Amino acid sequence: MIGPPPELRFKRRIRLLASLREVWRRRELVRSLAERELRARYKQAILGFAWAVITPLLLMLVFTLVFPRVAKVNTSGAPYPLFAYLGLLPWAFFSTSVSSGGQSILTNMTLLNKVYCPREVFPIASVGVAGTDSAVAVVVLCLLFVVTGFVPHLDAVWIPLLLLVQVVFTLGVTMVMSAVIVYLRDLRHALPIILQLGLFATPVALSLDDLVPERWQPLYVAINPLAAVIEGYRRTILLGLPPDGQLTAIATVSAVLVLIGGYALFKRLETGFADVA
Amino acid sequence: MLPEGTIAARHIWKRFHADRQRMLLRDELERLRHRFSGKGRDRWRWALQDVDFMVEPGQSVGLVGINGSGKSTLLKILTRVMYPYAGRLELSGRVGGLIEVRAGIHPDLTGAENIYLYGSLLGLPRRTVAKRFDSIVAFAELEQAVNRQVKFYSSGMQMRLGFAVAAFLEPNVLLVDEVLAVGDSTFQQRCLDRMRTVLSQGTTLVFVSHDLASVEATCERGVWLHNGVIVDDGPVRQVLAEYRQSIEESAEVSAPTSGPVRLLKTTTAGERGGMPVTQGPFEVTLRLESDKVRTGSVCVGVSDGPATPFFLSRRELQLASGETEVRVCMPRLPLPRGRFYCWVGVQDVKGNDLLSWHPAAHFDVAGPDLDIAPKAVVRLAPLHVEATMQVEHP
Repeated sequence: MIGPPPELRFKRRIRLLASLREVWRRRELVRSLAERELRARYKQAILGFAWAVITPLLLMLVFTLVFPRVAKVNTSGAPYPLFAYLGLLPWAFFSTSVSSGGQSILTNMTLLNKVYCPREVFPIASVGVAGTDSAVAVVVLCLLFVVTGFVPHLDAVWIPLLLLVQVVFTLGVTMVMSAVIVYLRDLRHALPIILQLGLFATPVALSLDDLVPERWQPLYVAINPLAAVIEGYRRTILLGLPPDGQLTAIATVSAVLVLIGGYALFKRLETGFADVA
Repeated sequence: MLPEGTIAARHIWKRFHADRQRMLLRDELERLRHRFSGKGRDRWRWALQDVDFMVEPGQSVGLVGINGSGKSTLLKILTRVMYPYAGRLELSGRVGGLIEVRAGIHPDLTGAENIYLYGSLLGLPRRTVAKRFDSIVAFAELEQAVNRQVKFYSSGMQMRLGFAVAAFLEPNVLLVDEVLAVGDSTFQQRCLDRMRTVLSQGTTLVFVSHDLASVEATCERGVWLHNGVIVDDGPVRQVLAEYRQSIEESAEVSAPTSGPVRLLKTTTAGERGGMPVTQGPFEVTLRLESDKVRTGSVCVGVSDGPATPFFLSRRELQLASGETEVRVCMPRLPLPRGRFYCWVGVQDVKGNDLLSWHPAAHFDVAGPDLDIAPKAVVRLAPLHVEATMQVEHP
C-alpha cells in the first residue's frame, strides 16, 4: 500500500502551558458544562440537591453502625461519625469525579466529533460538578458539628493546602481515566469495582495507622495522596494539630506529578479520540 | 502568517483501521501481542490521500463526492476535530461550523439554557449570546418554546436550535455540512441566505452537500473528492458537470433488467437526428420488450439528474408481445444549455410498476446560457422560456 513520504508525517507538538492557557480562555465553557450537568441531574430528581448530602450521610451512618463494632478504630478521641464523615467527603469527591469524569469524553463523543474545543474541559467540568456536591456536603458537616457539640479547629493555612492536593490529584486521575477509557472501553465496567476497592484502600472508615504500618506510610501516601489528605483534615479539624509534614509533602509532590503526567498523557491520547469513536 | 480566512491544506493524508470494529480489551491485547511478535500487521484504509488545496480568503468552495469519498473526514480535519496522519494544515482566523449539532443539545435543559451552552461550546462569550439572544430565537422560530425543555421539541425544532446558534457566529472560515438536510424548505432557504450574508462579508466558505443545485448557486469553486483523492478542482460549473456525469453513468448501469417489461434501448435526438437545441424539436425513442400483450402507461420525463422531472409525458399504450418501439416527439424543447437526463417508467392500469422509474439516458442541449439567477435563489432556473422585458414609463 502506498503512503505519504515519512517527512510529511504529522507530528503534534504537545505544549502543556499553551494548552492550559487555552483552557483558561474557555473557562466559560467549563462552567456551562458543569452547569448543564448539575441542572440536568437535579431537574428530574424530586429531592434535587439533597442527593449530594444523602449519599455521604447514609454511608457515614453505615460506617458508624458497622466499623466501631468490628474493629477498634483509633479516632484519637474524636466522635466516630465526624471522623468517618471527614474521610467520606474527600473520598466522595474523588470517586464521583473519577467515575463521571472518566466517562465524560466517551459520553460526549458525538459532540467532540463535530465541534472543536479543548477536550480537557469535559473531565474538568466533571470535577467541578463533584466539587459543587462537596460544597453542599460541607454544609452538612457544619450541621454535624452543631449536633454533636464538637468544636472544630479551623486552620486557615493547612486546610487550603490539603484541599489543593485533593483537587490536583483528583483532576490528574480523572484526566487519565477519561482518555484511557476511550481506547479501553472495558475499563468503564471495571471502574466501579476499582473505586469500591479504593474506598477500603484509603483511610476512610479507619485511620491511616489502622490501615498501614508506620514505616510503609510514606510509600503508601506517594501512591495514594488522598490518604495523607484525609489524615491531614482529621488532624487539623478534629485534633487541632498540623498535618504530618513528611506525609503531606510526599502527597503534594505525588499529586502534582500525577496531574502533570496525566495531563500530558491526556494530550497525547487526545490526538486519536476522533479516530476511534 | 497567512491572511485571515485562508485555508492551506498541504498534502493531507488520513488513515483508519480497516477492520477494527470492537474496542474490547482482548482485541487490544491481541493487537499488542501481534505488534511485539512482529507478525500480523494492522490493516489500514486510506480515507484521504495527498489532498492538497489552498483557499483564498472570501472564496466559496463546494465539496462534492459520493458517500464515503472522504468529504466529512476532510471537514473534520479542517475543524481540528481530527488530526491528519500526514501533511500540514494551516488555517488562519476563527473557524466556525454550521454542522448538524443535535449532539450538543441536552434534552433535559430548556431551549434558552441550551442556546447559552451551545454558544459557549462554539466559543461565543456569554455576553455576546445574550446580546444576540432574540435574533437567535427568531432565526430558529422558537419564540413560543424557548422556556420549554428541549426533549419536548420536535426533531426539526431541535435541529433549528443548533443551527441558529451556529449561524450567528462570525467566523473567518465557515464550514457547512449538509445544511439542507435540516428543517423544512423555508428554514433551508433561511440558512442559505444566512450563508450568503456571511459570504458577502468576506468569509471563506467550505460547503459540503449532495444538493448540487445549491452548491452551484452558492459556490464559485468546486472540489470533487473520490476515494479520498481530489479528482477535480476548478470552477464550480465545470466540476459539477463532470461529477454529475460520473454519478449518472453509474446510475444508468443499475437500471432494472428484470420485470415484465424491459427497456432495451433509449435514444434521444434533436432535429434530423442531430444534437438537441434550446427551443428546437426533440425526440425520444424507446425500444421496449414485453413478455405478453399488455396495456401499459408509458411515462417519459426529463430532469437535470434527480428523479423529479421538469416535465413528463404519459400515454396509455398497447404493448405487443415482444418488441415495441415508442417515439415521443416534442416540437419545442424548453431546456437551456447543459446536460439532462431522460427518465423512463411503465405502469399497468392499476398503477403497479411494469418497469420502474429510472434514468435511462442522458443528453446534452446546445443553446444560449441561462440568464443568471439572483443570488438568493437556491435552484438555478431549470427551464428556458423565451421572454422579453422592457421598461415602460406610465
